[in-house]
Formats: sequence, C-alpha cells, structure tokens
Amino acid sequence: MALKTWALRKSLWVYHVNAGACNNCDIEVLDLLTPRFDIERFGMILVGSPRHADVLAVTGTCTRQAMPRLQEVYMQTAKPCVVLAIGSCALHQGIFAEGYHMGAKVDEAIKAVDPNAIIMYVPGCSPKPEAMIAAAVKAMELLKTL
Amino acid sequence: MTVATTETQAPLKGFVGEVLGALGSAVTEVHQCGDRRGIARIDPARTVEVAGKMLAMEGSRLGTCTGIDVRDGIDVLYHWCFEPAGVVVTLKALAARPELAIDSIANVVLAGNWIEREMHDLLGATFRNHPDMRRLILDDSWPEGVYPLRKDFDQVADRPPLPPNMSPPDVGAEERRAEP
Amino acid sequence: MDIGWMVLTFLAAGLGSLLLGLLLRGVDRKVTARVQWRVGPPLYQAAVDVLKLMGKENLMPVTARGTGFLLAPVIALASTAVAATILWRALVLPDATFLGDLIVVVYLLVIPALMIILGASASGNPHASVGAARELKLLLSYELPLFLVLLLAVARGGWTFQLGKLINAQQQTPVLYSISGVLGFLIAIICVQAKLGLVPFDLAEAECELMSGVYVEYSGSSLAMFLMTRAMLLALMPLLLIIVFWGGLGSSWLGMLAFLGKYLLLVVLVTLIRNTNPRLRIDQTVRLFWFYLTPAAIVAVILALVGISKGIPWL
Repeated sequence: MALKTWALRKSLWVYHVNAGACNNCDIEVLDLLTPRFDIERFGMILVGSPRHADVLAVTGTCTRQAMPRLQEVYMQTAKPCVVLAIGSCALHQGIFAEGYHMGAKVDEAIKAVDPNAIIMYVPGCSPKPEAMIAAAVKAMELLKTL
Repeated sequence: MTVATTETQAPLKGFVGEVLGALGSAVTEVHQCGDRRGIARIDPARTVEVAGKMLAMEGSRLGTCTGIDVRDGIDVLYHWCFEPAGVVVTLKALAARPELAIDSIANVVLAGNWIEREMHDLLGATFRNHPDMRRLILDDSWPEGVYPLRKDFDQVADRPPLPPNMSPPDVGAEERRAEP
Repeated sequence: MDIGWMVLTFLAAGLGSLLLGLLLRGVDRKVTARVQWRVGPPLYQAAVDVLKLMGKENLMPVTARGTGFLLAPVIALASTAVAATILWRALVLPDATFLGDLIVVVYLLVIPALMIILGASASGNPHASVGAARELKLLLSYELPLFLVLLLAVARGGWTFQLGKLINAQQQTPVLYSISGVLGFLIAIICVQAKLGLVPFDLAEAECELMSGVYVEYSGSSLAMFLMTRAMLLALMPLLLIIVFWGGLGSSWLGMLAFLGKYLLLVVLVTLIRNTNPRLRIDQTVRLFWFYLTPAAIVAVILALVGISKGIPWL
C-alpha cells in the first residue's frame, strides 16, 4: 500500500478541464510546463485523456452547460484522483461568481457524483504557477495519508 | 431614447460627414461627427436599406452590433468600421416597446447573423426575417422567454433552477435494454 | 534444453528488457528535458509511471468490446517478451540460434502494432478509431523499407536467415562498413523511429490533437501493459539493428564495451530525432516511406547485390 501511494505521489498525471473559464488560469497552467517552472521534474505531465489522469485541473466557474460534462469527466477518471479547483472562479468567488450562467460550485458539482472526492483549492485570479506547484505538493502530502 | 429638443444636431463634415450624408433621409439625427468617430440615429424601419448602403461603401465592414435595454425599448447599435481611414461610425436603431422587433440585416450583411442571434438570446429583441434564429449563447437547459441581460433581471435571484438531471447521460442504456 | 532453462531464459530476458527499456525511457525524457533547457524527471520515472498505473483501477467503457479491449495489451506484451528472449539469446549465444529466427523476430515485433489497432478499434471511441486507422496506414508504410534493408543485411551475411550466423559473418567487417550498409542503416533508423511510435511519426498517439488517439479509453493495468510494451520495444529495436548491421556483441572485452557504446548511441539518436522534428501528417508519412525510402532501400539492396557478385566489399 505504501508502494502504491509512493508511486502515485511520484508520478501524477494531470488532465486539464476548462469548465467555462476566461482562459487566464489556463494560461497559468500551461506556464507550469515551461522551463521556468517545469513540473515534469516532479513526474507530472499533461495527458490527453481523463482516463489516464490522476489530477483533474479544473479551471473556471462551472457553468450550467459545463456542469454535466464536468461530472462526466470526473466519472471517467480512474480513481484514486485529486481534483484541483484552480482560481477564484472555481471557488465561487471573483468577478464572474454572480453571473446568470453559473451552475453549481465546482466542489458541489463533483460531490454530487462522488461525495468522497478529494478536492484541493488554489485561490487567486489567476493563481501564480508557484501557487499551483504548492497545491501539487500539498496534494502529494495528502496522498501520503491515504 | 427620445431626444431632448434642446440637443443640437452636429453639423456634417469630413469623411464621417460624407458617410452620413450618403445615407440621406434615413438618418434622423446626428449626435457626433468628429474626424474618426460618428454616432447617428437612423429610422428603425429602414435598417436593411441603410445596411446595404453602408456595406456598399468602400473599405467598410460591420465591426459588431450592440444591444442596450433602455426605457423606450431596445436600442440596437451597428458599429461600422472603415479600414484604411480608421473611422468608426455607429448607427442606432430603436426597437420600440412593446413589440421589440426590428428588421434583420442578416440577409444583407452576413456578419450580422450570429450577432442578432446573440441579441435575441440575451435581450429578447426580435429580428424579422432572420434566416436562422436558433439559440446561440445560452445553454441547452435555459428556459425560453427569460432574457438575462434585461435591466429587470436580477443576476442571482432570477436565475432559473438547474436542470433536475444533474448526473450525466447514460451511454449505452439503449444497447443494454435491447439485449435480452 | 529443458523446460526449466527455457522458462528462466524467458523470464530473465523479458524482465531484463523491461527494466532496461524503462531506464532507457527515463534517459529519453531526461535528454529531452535537457535539450529543452529544463531539469526533467529522474531516471527511474518511467518505472514509477508503470507502477502507479498498476495501482489504479482499470476502467472499461460500456461501448467497448471487452475481449479485444482487454486481451490486446496482454498479447502485445507477451509477443514482445518472446521476441526479447530470441534476440538476447542470439546476442549472447550466437551458436544457439535456429534457422529462420530473424523472420520470427520480425513477425513478433509487428504484433504490438496490430494489437494497438485491435485494442483501439475495440474501444468504441471515435478518437480511437481515427488513431487505429492512422496506425494501420503507418504500419503498412514503414514495414516495407524495413524488410528491404533487413534483406540487404541478409544478403551481405551470406544469405542466411539465422541471427547467429549473421553475427558470425560480421566478425571481420560488419554490414555497416559499406555504402549500401550505411544507406540501409539510415533507412532502418527512420523505420525504427516509426515503429517505436515517436515523433515525427507518432500520429497514432497524438496527444494534442487526438487526446491520445489509440490509448484514449485505456487506464490502469491495461495502459501499464501498453507502456511496458513500448519500453521493451525501445530496448529491443536498437539491439536488432546492432545484431543485423553492426556485428552484435564482440568477442573481446573491447568489443563488449563497443557494443554498449553503439547501443547508447542509437538510443540517444532516436531521442534527438524525436526532439528536433515536428510531427508529420499521415499523407506525408506514407509518401515519405513509399516514394522516398523504399526506392532508396531498393537502391541499397541492388548496390549490395552488385558488391557481392563483383566481390567489392565496400559496396
């Protein structure tokens, strides 16, 4: 069991879901792959399919249109997985939180399909890549306790 | 928007003046006629004719259209850009209450197709003779007849309830039902 | 040779190739990172990836055909392991090979690509079907020049299809030390790049466009088996090239050191080609292999045949 969580911590694969974001947080997520921040040294790479992912990086307010799709993507991700709710919008704060297009909060939408989901919150508008790396490190610490 | 009788008509001069002059009697009043910016109000019954004339001018293109919810109705603004000169001319047409209807320019200016669909979705302005009035921006579960950008719509309190089916569709349900 | 030894050889060669392949994939990612001015993951990263995937749940979509979907990675891994056994035994004990094992190895190394196509078609996903169609076209395009250059090596090795005899025939001068040999070797490197599914020919598993194309519905242990197959192929293809073109394992200690150097050189070459090229479209790929590399391979074979019949060793 310790081996399993050690391997999970050392090789987190990230799938990026945009649930109605303005793209600023998406740009910062992309920054993580550039040579300046380079999360690949932690073993984290960006994968193309949710079934391969261990971390779902969700950006944006969960709009009404995106909500069932976000839930579908979460259900397609192989467990155990961590959801990173990135940005103020995902935390239901910020300038877009009271718009007419808002669905549920990201954590409510995901807990509706899986009450035991592990969700980490990265505040900021948009959060700096250092904040996202701090969240990734905290996720690894959390996975140690599983 | 009713114009106060004390507002003076701006004199027509320069490139913008030529453009507005070419539209003739369709222009009911001119609010601004500067070197690179012109704002004028046109007769709402003649939008198609005006759009045709503007499109035929050299170097013109429809930049975008804006809809504003005002006391008298919905003000539809057409922003025409003239490329080499760097000039923007805005033409306003009022879709008066209670019908809130105006002739669509989508048959003449193809760029207006999606913009008018957006204005219909969010403000409820009706565009007569629009070739393809489908929902563009609002999501599939949004009810008909609720227009979110109207002034009397509260962004938080008047939000329609979420669809009851919050879980995703069951892929393969028909196949499973079909098998014995 | 009794059954015990056979099983032991199989396990040793299979596991050895797997571990070597995972280490080489780590080397590949580290070199890629350095070329891109980054730090990059540690060398054992590929092994950790596979370990992690074994611990995740294996999801099968409702629209997938279960048998093909689940069997494909197992068969791919198994055939690669058998090919590994034959190749390593041929390298270490050239006298204990059997007639026709070159053909068997080539046949076994085609099976992983076929299993990818089978698994992707059984996934029930349109991205996977597009990936499977592309993989099929890729397979049809790169196998032809590869067979032709292997034929070239067979011709120079005295018309024998036995790996051990090919190695022994190259003890004086490897096939590489001739014009046709160099040409054939270069063509073989490009075909190996396609076989390994690396850029510029990785359009079956195009991460950006196709959401990982062929592997889109795989997860957990099935995906781990596919990754292990790819790692083992990375360990085996340079080995095949060295056996057929460059003389295999030399008899002296210097020869063995030279073998290590040649092996690493080929792996780094594959990595550098991967890092410096964009991805080709499917029509560009097929055109490259059929209309440029195949005629070049035919020219190389003709040169080799002329060299043999006229007795010119450097042709």
